[in-house]
Amino acid sequence: MASKGTVSVEVSDLRREFKGKGSPVVALDGVSLKVGQGEIFGVLGPNGAGKTTMIRILSTLLLPTGGWAKVMGFDVEHEPEKVRRVINMASGAEKAGYDFISAKKNLWFFSQLYGIPTATAEKRIMELSEMLGLTKYLDRKFYALSTGYRQRATIARAFVNEPKVVFLDEPTIGLDVMTARSIREFLKEQARRSERTIILASHNMAEVEAICDRVAIIDKGKIIAAGTPEDLMRSLGAPALVMEVSPPQSGFEMLSRVEGVKGFTASTEEERGLSTVHIVVETDAAARAAEDAVKREGLKVVASWRKQATLEEVFVALVGRGFKEREEQDVV
Amino acid sequence: MKARALVRLWSIFGEPLWIVVSMGFPVLSSLALSLLYYSIGAASYVGFAVLGGVMVSFWGNVLWSMASQFYWDKQEGLFEIYLTSPAPISAILIGMSVGGIIGTVPSALIVTGIGWVLFHPAVNAVWGGVILTFGLTLASLYAMGMTLSSLYLAYGREAESLNEVLQEPVSMLSGLYFPSLGARSPFPLAIQAAASLIPLTIGMDALRKTLFYGNDIWQVWPDLAILGVMAVVLLFASTYALKYLENVGRRDGTIGVRIR
Ligand SMILES: Nc1ncnc2c1ncn2[C@@H]1O[C@H](COP(=O)(O)OP(=O)(O)OP(=O)(O)O)[C@@H](O)[C@H]1O
Ligand SMILES: [Mg+2]
Repeated sequence: MASKGTVSVEVSDLRREFKGKGSPVVALDGVSLKVGQGEIFGVLGPNGAGKTTMIRILSTLLLPTGGWAKVMGFDVEHEPEKVRRVINMASGAEKAGYDFISAKKNLWFFSQLYGIPTATAEKRIMELSEMLGLTKYLDRKFYALSTGYRQRATIARAFVNEPKVVFLDEPTIGLDVMTARSIREFLKEQARRSERTIILASHNMAEVEAICDRVAIIDKGKIIAAGTPEDLMRSLGAPALVMEVSPPQSGFEMLSRVEGVKGFTASTEEERGLSTVHIVVETDAAARAAEDAVKREGLKVVASWRKQATLEEVFVALVGRGFKEREEQDVV
Repeated sequence: MKARALVRLWSIFGEPLWIVVSMGFPVLSSLALSLLYYSIGAASYVGFAVLGGVMVSFWGNVLWSMASQFYWDKQEGLFEIYLTSPAPISAILIGMSVGGIIGTVPSALIVTGIGWVLFHPAVNAVWGGVILTFGLTLASLYAMGMTLSSLYLAYGREAESLNEVLQEPVSMLSGLYFPSLGARSPFPLAIQAAASLIPLTIGMDALRKTLFYGNDIWQVWPDLAILGVMAVVLLFASTYALKYLENVGRRDGTIGVRIR
């Protein structure tokens, strides 16, 4: 796998099993990857794919049950103390701050876990807050911050020790578009200008497409594809086909029998009285065949158009289903 | 470490209501008891009650905030931040203790002040001994708090019932308000021995001796030695226990609550 410059994170045949009630759950099933310094590396996958498990192993909160991983050359299993000096992490699910203390003092407190002199820490907190648009809210008590600003503070915290590698688990989950965008801009800036490596676990395709230099798509604990988002999308060849079908349908099983159809994902809009199907096709002929197959079932194709493939389609092409359907399958 | 102490202080003083609650309890109970002793003519015990009020403030702080702090931190995802930082977990705990002690001082001063003004307890003190005893008692108390905090981490809410158990009987056994060790103790020897396992008991006993009976350091040295040993042993025990819990947690995937 290609990577630029020096390697800052290396993972080899990483495995993690959890003891379940019945058979053990395999959360990571032999993952290998290399991430270069200054890279934003996306780990993309549906719920339960193993993203968080990987982030937790890399940030020394969880031991692997097989394989190994190194961060800045230090083994996460055997040299956690050394790893902890060069990393930081944040998760979109955490609350991460003392409620009755201002955002600024919270940030200062966390900086002290890294033994940063107060003057340096304060300067850094101001800079980070400026970049994240947090400055005006610094003196508010943590509990009085909205979700978006609390998350900005959490992101600032993850960079307060000028880490070489930052692990982020769904950092923009549940945020509005504007907040998510400014956090993404901040992350890009940190990677470009300060050469920090960022490993970003997400199941937001658009986010990964927007900021990641490279991405590994994982499903059921295995990497099923890796590369730059552009390469992955280009590898699909012909772009995707979108079809609006009426009346609404729940199943489009006929499509899986069409030659050249790699996969599809469907959603229904009741108000408009139709279903929208995204189909990843190998060739133009396959696109025509897919449309014919739908018509042959007596369904009406209200509209159909071709579109540039996105990471969603990459996943669909590899697994045959979209994230949503994949997650629903797991529940069953 | 210093940072942890400051955070603790900001948290305490950021919430006026909490100050009232946390100070009110020891103040009231100690004053009620003082009044009782005073009214039945047990004047020599009034001083004990005031001293008890001071110490129960610290004991309450150890039990209700030190011990359970990591448990709450874990619930909120803060414990993970501690762990992934290079700061040793014991430094964080010591910072918490220092913060807790400083934060409890106002309440202790209020108890002393009110007790003094109202009852003028007779004091016959060797101040050097008092200060040394007081320091060692706090050290061993907070070291016990550190150990309790690892129990809390391991057993979660179940450990809270341990607190309930510790609160009342310990106030009694440890002689917060009356002598529970030696000739003046109302308890049989076996219970006295059990009570001695709690640093508070020994600390209270030694404090009474130095503060009210004019004992000097050489007369209470066994108590001081025991307190010192307890502080060191408990400190190591907590460090070791937390390291052990971290390793188990990393192995079993139980660090942090899973939010899904
Ligand atoms: N501590 C744990 N104990 C038991 N099973 C676990 C634990 N952590 C994860 N798992 C299991 O491992 C699998 C992968 O979980 P993981 O949290 O890594 O997925 P994820 O990709 O982060 O998903 P999501 O998008 O929902 O966050 C799941 O089946 C999960 O139930
Ligand atoms: Mg996850």
